Amino acid sequence: MPRIAVLPPAVADQIAAGEVVERPASVVKELVENALDAGATAVEVTVEEGGRALVRVSDDGSGMGREDAVLALSRHATSKIRHAEELVGVASFGFRGEALPAICSVSHLELETSPEDGAGTRVRASGGALQGVEDAARRRGTTVSVARLFHNTPARQKFLRSARSEWRAISDVLVVMALTRRDVRLSATHDGKSSLALPAAPSLRARLGAIHGARYADGLLDVEDVAGAVHVTGLVERPGDVGTAARRVFLAVNGRAVRDTGLVRAAEAAYRSTIPAGLRPSLFLEVVLPAGELDVNVHPAKAEVRFGDRWAVERAVERAVRRALGTLDSAADVGGRGWFAGGLLNGARPEPAVNPWAEAGRDVGALHLEAGPTVGLFADPDAPAPHDPRAFDGAPHGAPALPWEVAAPAAAPAPPDEEEIAVPPLVQLRRTYMMFERDEGVVLIDQHSAHERVLYERFLGAMARGESPSQRLLFPLTLHLGPAQADAFEANRDALTRLGYEVEPFGGGSLLVHAVPTPHPRFDAERCLRDTLDALTGDRHAAAHARHERLAATVACKAAVKAGDALSPDEMRALFVALARTTLPAHDVHGRATIVHLGWDELERRFGRA
Amino acid sequence: MRFTISREKLQEGLSAVAASIPAKTTLPVLANILLETTERGIRLSGTDLDIAVSTEVAADVETPGAITIPAKKLQEIARELPPSPVKIAAAGEQRVTLECGRSRFKLLGLPKDEFPAFPAVKFEESWRIKSGDLQKLIQHTSFAVSTEESRPILNGVLWELRAERMRMVATNGHRLARMELPISSSGAPAGDLIVPPKALDQIRRLFPAEEELEIARGDNHLGFRSPFTAVYTRLIEGPYPNYEQVIPKDNDKYAIADKGSLTSALKRMSVIASDQTHRIRLSFNAGMLKFSVQTPDLGEAADELPIRYDGDPLDIGFNASYLLEILRYMPTEEVRLTFKAPERAATVEPEGWSDPAKYLALVMPLRLMD
Ligand SMILES: Nc1ncnc2c1ncn2[C@@H]1O[C@H](COP(=O)(O)OP(=O)(O)OP(=O)(O)O)[C@@H](O)[C@H]1O
Ligand SMILES: [Mg+2]
Repeated sequence: MPRIAVLPPAVADQIAAGEVVERPASVVKELVENALDAGATAVEVTVEEGGRALVRVSDDGSGMGREDAVLALSRHATSKIRHAEELVGVASFGFRGEALPAICSVSHLELETSPEDGAGTRVRASGGALQGVEDAARRRGTTVSVARLFHNTPARQKFLRSARSEWRAISDVLVVMALTRRDVRLSATHDGKSSLALPAAPSLRARLGAIHGARYADGLLDVEDVAGAVHVTGLVERPGDVGTAARRVFLAVNGRAVRDTGLVRAAEAAYRSTIPAGLRPSLFLEVVLPAGELDVNVHPAKAEVRFGDRWAVERAVERAVRRALGTLDSAADVGGRGWFAGGLLNGARPEPAVNPWAEAGRDVGALHLEAGPTVGLFADPDAPAPHDPRAFDGAPHGAPALPWEVAAPAAAPAPPDEEEIAVPPLVQLRRTYMMFERDEGVVLIDQHSAHERVLYERFLGAMARGESPSQRLLFPLTLHLGPAQADAFEANRDALTRLGYEVEPFGGGSLLVHAVPTPHPRFDAERCLRDTLDALTGDRHAAAHARHERLAATVACKAAVKAGDALSPDEMRALFVALARTTLPAHDVHGRATIVHLGWDELERRFGRA
Repeated sequence: MRFTISREKLQEGLSAVAASIPAKTTLPVLANILLETTERGIRLSGTDLDIAVSTEVAADVETPGAITIPAKKLQEIARELPPSPVKIAAAGEQRVTLECGRSRFKLLGLPKDEFPAFPAVKFEESWRIKSGDLQKLIQHTSFAVSTEESRPILNGVLWELRAERMRMVATNGHRLARMELPISSSGAPAGDLIVPPKALDQIRRLFPAEEELEIARGDNHLGFRSPFTAVYTRLIEGPYPNYEQVIPKDNDKYAIADKGSLTSALKRMSVIASDQTHRIRLSFNAGMLKFSVQTPDLGEAADELPIRYDGDPLDIGFNASYLLEILRYMPTEEVRLTFKAPERAATVEPEGWSDPAKYLALVMPLRLMD
């Protein structure tokens, strides 16, 4: 007797159900998807006892004729595709014809449907067996009721959690559906209590506002970017807000909600250096790419997709988010949010600052060596003043300069260095902040954070290129290190060399420094190295990549101007320009705000003028 | 106190002292100028506690006395006065009146006692040096001082006094300038003084080149004076780093170049050099110096200059601005450059200089990327 037997269809369906229907939330997902596939404009969900007792989904979609209604419950019956080729670029949520039979096999299912107002059909089935087909008067649309889920599979039933946690899972599903299809009205009740009532919404932000509150939604940053064939849109959390509310992640690819750690990680990578390590941002992202670049048929619940070129999609996501974080809009804001639409470069009343590349035909030599607009701290470490006849007043500080150069990290989007950066009149406050006025309000820039950001990106660039300029010293510096610092030095030795520190261990915990980087004229190479090694103690085991970033951040922090340093007007201008050319001007390397806006509306409100 | 002074003399005195008045101070009297009557006229003095300047100008003194007056206001008034004699009188300790033509001013001063005493320097043990010699040393070296706060010693200019010669040296640890002059019978005590460049600046400004200066030391101070003007300065405590040791003696590659052409080429290269480091590459080959610069995200440039050079080929990187600066102070049409290796100090000297002075500048290279 053969030991292998073909399973009866009912058993096969039950096994398949295990994949499609894990818990009541999966039932809700499948039924709502069916409703949406049927072109519903309104979907109502009724749940009792966390979905154990009842899940009912009603829609105003196309409905079914009697024949289809019966067929719908049999396996691999679908109206959505006919041929395998149609799987490519399939636009409907469903395409397998598996969901209804799977659900039916583990519950009492009742399907009421009508393609037109008036005469309809009611089909009843239980444990996968058809029990009756009858007339039912109803409006156009379909209602599917699933009662006593898993009544015939005690093992599954045992794994159900409390009604509350099953309901929580259902809510999550509903939120995802609500974000995916914002054009549909969605309502839900649990045990008779209305828990969700979402009208059709014009935008993702509006939908999120209806779900989580307008304040939360208004605080998010717009993402909108096209890279090649990949279009990324959505909303992400401001770095300054990350960690202040529950983390929420929503990711849709070609209109389908998916889980994809790779894309999430790419989006999170864009936050690197703007938020403390360990914090994870909330993300609501939608990716659209050509249908041929995507395979949706890889996961029973369609929760995962496969990309033709995953790397390209991940880079596109990272770039889009990074761009969003790079706008001044992502800066911390006092008062009304979202009044700032452009980048750092727009809207301020400019004083002309000149970038030699703005006009190709210009005599850049004359312009910059003889009348360079940026001087000192942020432009030019040690240039003399070639046309100043007096030795004292000219050198080494008051020197005209070449344009401020910033090396952007390789993977980051190009900073706006081709453009002329308009510098508004700047005022220094408390020797700590630079302030300027925009059409929309007042903007404050923290000088230390700003300079730190500028140096950080430059150091990363230098490390990526493998070397940075290193000035040899006439008198080598001697540093005496404790064991922890000596460890930190060993762990970061290569990266320090790339930054321009040429260091030779001298025995007994001493270092001899022969050459140092020269990022700006007030740079104190010795103190910076010492402080950096102090800060990096115990960092030995971090991955090299993370270590480089940490080192760049630490050195940038130690090397940047401090609060309390008086800046000349030219230094402020140069810092402004340099900051504007960074990829993430609004955030310092510790995830704090570099820039704070105070809108006129907020000021007026405080003065009682609103 | 009551005296009459010409507007010009008043302005002259004020402008001499003005540079020593601090722009901001927590000690209010330092914002004031000290006016004292003397036998020849009046003496004006100012100080920021690091340096002090005092100068005497002719005036008709009716009643002797002394008072301090807000320096900035007095200077502004003096600038706007009509060209008539100025009468200044102090009523009591604080109230000052100033009259000129039909203009009258009343100013609130501060009592003389609040003004800090000048540093005690022993002019009875002074020595003499021609002001022009001192100025020559200052001009050719002080540009090289450091402005970094972490090594205060390098913020000063080393002034070495020896029996036969004197020398000034300044460095920021990346480049160095040294000049030496013979001195004859000045009676100067041998010693090393580290002088803040701000004081040296005043010496260059205030004393005519042909004047003999009397110079004297105090514990921590140095004083310079001519018959009418005196400058006092705090000294920076040493010891100065052993610069002799880092001046290369074994540089075996020599180049002689035209200063003007070299300067022009360096300026052209600077346009493309990074504005942080001004790094450019110099390639020395027989008879020819090639310049090149590559700056990531910016571009590249190259140039050539015929020079006299017959050493082994050498590629070396520099901060172009250091070289430009050094060339600016070179007194001759041609300069002589010496090298050893790409990571070793290079020197620049005047070529064919018929001067009793000896001048040398040194610059440390920048690492090159290959
Ligand atoms: N609410 C509904 N309104 C109209 N037609 C429906 C509805 N629900 C199901 N159907 C029909 O029943 C068929 C079977 O549904 P089922 O969910 O089992 O499969 P599917 O949606 O085609 O594929 P999948 O298994 O991938 O969900 C659908 O193809 C559709 O034609
Ligand atoms: Mg379906």
